[in-house]
Amino acid sequence: MTVTSAGRSIAGDWYAGTIPQNAVVDETAFIETSFSFHMYRSRLPTGFRAGRGASTYLGTMLDVGESGSVSIGDFSLVHGARIICDREITIGDYSLISWNVVLMDSYRLPRSPSARRRLIEGMSLSTRHLPPGGDEARPVHIGRNVWIGFDSCVLPGVTVGEGAVIGARSVVFEDVASYTVVAGNPARLVRRIESTATTTDDAIRRASAS
Amino acid sequence: MTTSQPASKRGRWSNGELPANVRLGENTIVTADYAFKRFHSVRDPGLTVGDNSTMDGVHFAVGADAVVKIGSFCYFTNAVVLSEESITIGDYVVIGWNATIADTDFHPLDPAQRVADAIACSPLGGGRARPLIARRPVVIEDDVWIGPNATILKGVRIGAGSFIEPGALVTQDVPPGSRVLGNPAQIVGSV
Repeated sequence: MTVTSAGRSIAGDWYAGTIPQNAVVDETAFIETSFSFHMYRSRLPTGFRAGRGASTYLGTMLDVGESGSVSIGDFSLVHGARIICDREITIGDYSLISWNVVLMDSYRLPRSPSARRRLIEGMSLSTRHLPPGGDEARPVHIGRNVWIGFDSCVLPGVTVGEGAVIGARSVVFEDVASYTVVAGNPARLVRRIESTATTTDDAIRRASAS
Repeated sequence: MTTSQPASKRGRWSNGELPANVRLGENTIVTADYAFKRFHSVRDPGLTVGDNSTMDGVHFAVGADAVVKIGSFCYFTNAVVLSEESITIGDYVVIGWNATIADTDFHPLDPAQRVADAIACSPLGGGRARPLIARRPVVIEDDVWIGPNATILKGVRIGAGSFIEPGALVTQDVPPGSRVLGNPAQIVGSV
């Protein structure tokens, strides 16, 4: 994969920022605005990766803590999601993520009110009052060829299988099986998908041949 | 030793000059140029935020007669606060990205009244009075956690320490210490 120089600014960007040094962005990927990195503070060698032909549009926010890493697969389209990551969030190839979707691998602050108080008090001492990384983060994996409808939330620890569809405004608390449709809040199985091409690989071959 | 805080230590809005009837406590920060674009309260104070709070990208859409009070050590990211009457939020309350707190229905339920409201709100309204619209105060007690994309509607009181999961739509009171999820939101246990 060919990588654009990290630290570059983006042509025509409304925001005067740059792509972070530890972001690996394929030269064919499209990042609409560097504002997507306004909340990005990963210190890992690779804190963000965008594959061949991937895109992140306006409104996508990479709210990534110091130990977080986000990976967006080839040809995936992220059209304005809030990605709250303290450990790992992966989005497979050919996946489509709609606007106002929340993908989170961490609740950021402890559940216990007394522990939360201590953390908030600590945050208020820093300049931007930013939360530290959540210790209890559980990775989120979105498979290949997944479609997530607008306003949905995918919660910590969830894996979404290949080819699945998540209906608009769903809140996903549990793993989603491959080639199924889930919807609702909390999300429930609606039906299984009979695909014309049995696998994503078959579909890729067909799309490439046509 | 008691000394008054220097001006630089008081709460600040990084994107402009605060409306005169907004009071921010010490070390409270407010960001986003749109924060007060729809702040129309003429009450004084119309908005109070305590000390050490963070209002990062919050919309304060507050009507002329409305009063919003937010406590100390609160942490809101891109929440939307819509008030036509009264929204009262305690200390140590966390509200996630794109969550909405509203104390009003915005428009009448009755279809005929709604036509009148549409006309009154239109560019041809000519200062016509709007019909009565249902509104009831919202109270969020101390230590409540509200997840991203959640919605809290009019008349709701959320008891201290409750945990509102992301995306929940809350239309009824929540007792203290409850865990709540879904649409409509259900109490599924305790924190």
